[in-house]
Amino acid sequence: MPSVSSSIRAKVLFFGRVRELTGLSEEGVEVREGTTLADLLERYMRRYPQLAGLRASLVVSRNQEFVEWDTRIVSGDEIAFLPPVSGG
Amino acid sequence: MPSALDNDLYELVRAAIDPAALVQFVRAGQDGAIVVFDGFVRNETHGRVTKQLEYEAYEPMALAKMREIGAQIHEEFAVHRVAMVHRLGRLEIGETSVFIAVSAPHRAAAFDACRFAIDTLKRAVPIWKKEYFQDGAVWAEGEIPPAAPEAKPAS
Repeated sequence: MPSVSSSIRAKVLFFGRVRELTGLSEEGVEVREGTTLADLLERYMRRYPQLAGLRASLVVSRNQEFVEWDTRIVSGDEIAFLPPVSGG
Repeated sequence: MPSALDNDLYELVRAAIDPAALVQFVRAGQDGAIVVFDGFVRNETHGRVTKQLEYEAYEPMALAKMREIGAQIHEEFAVHRVAMVHRLGRLEIGETSVFIAVSAPHRAAAFDACRFAIDTLKRAVPIWKKEYFQDGAVWAEGEIPPAAPEAKPAS
């Protein structure tokens, strides 16, 4: 059994069509140490299969910076799965 | 540490943007040119009649990215001041959604910086637009931001 101390808490934010597809704008998550952002997205795609169609177009941010999907989550991270941007 | 950004203006607003005030904001005696970009709501998209738009943003990140664009502008172009304002919420046809004003001693830098600012904003700032038509609504197709941070001059 993983010990309680190996779990990490983070916050996930949702915008645009990701927000609409999931019905979430923000939630707290608990993940095991070593979990990557890609792993976390997999978890959401299992919960919201309708996200699969967006997968290829999503980028991810951690603490308000664009980062790579293999980035590991650390405690207190603010994560967002971002659909293509369309400001302007 | 003082920075050129301290004299600039980067904002996300929910009320109407006042272009004249922003032009005045960047204008100073040392300048000889101001170039502005006024982006406003078009009445159609690919032949579909647009009723209105709704913009949302990942606000703190969007502001940080706008300031990053400003920092790049000051590194790469000989400009004086930048004002960059994006509106959020519901906008009607003809209303300004984004306004950028750049002042500089000479026009070339102001043109180049303003063009760089809007092009980069559209690609790398987390803002999203939903278009409402007579017969439905869609999220604008949009652009996929570079996964890594925007290329920056070596520091």
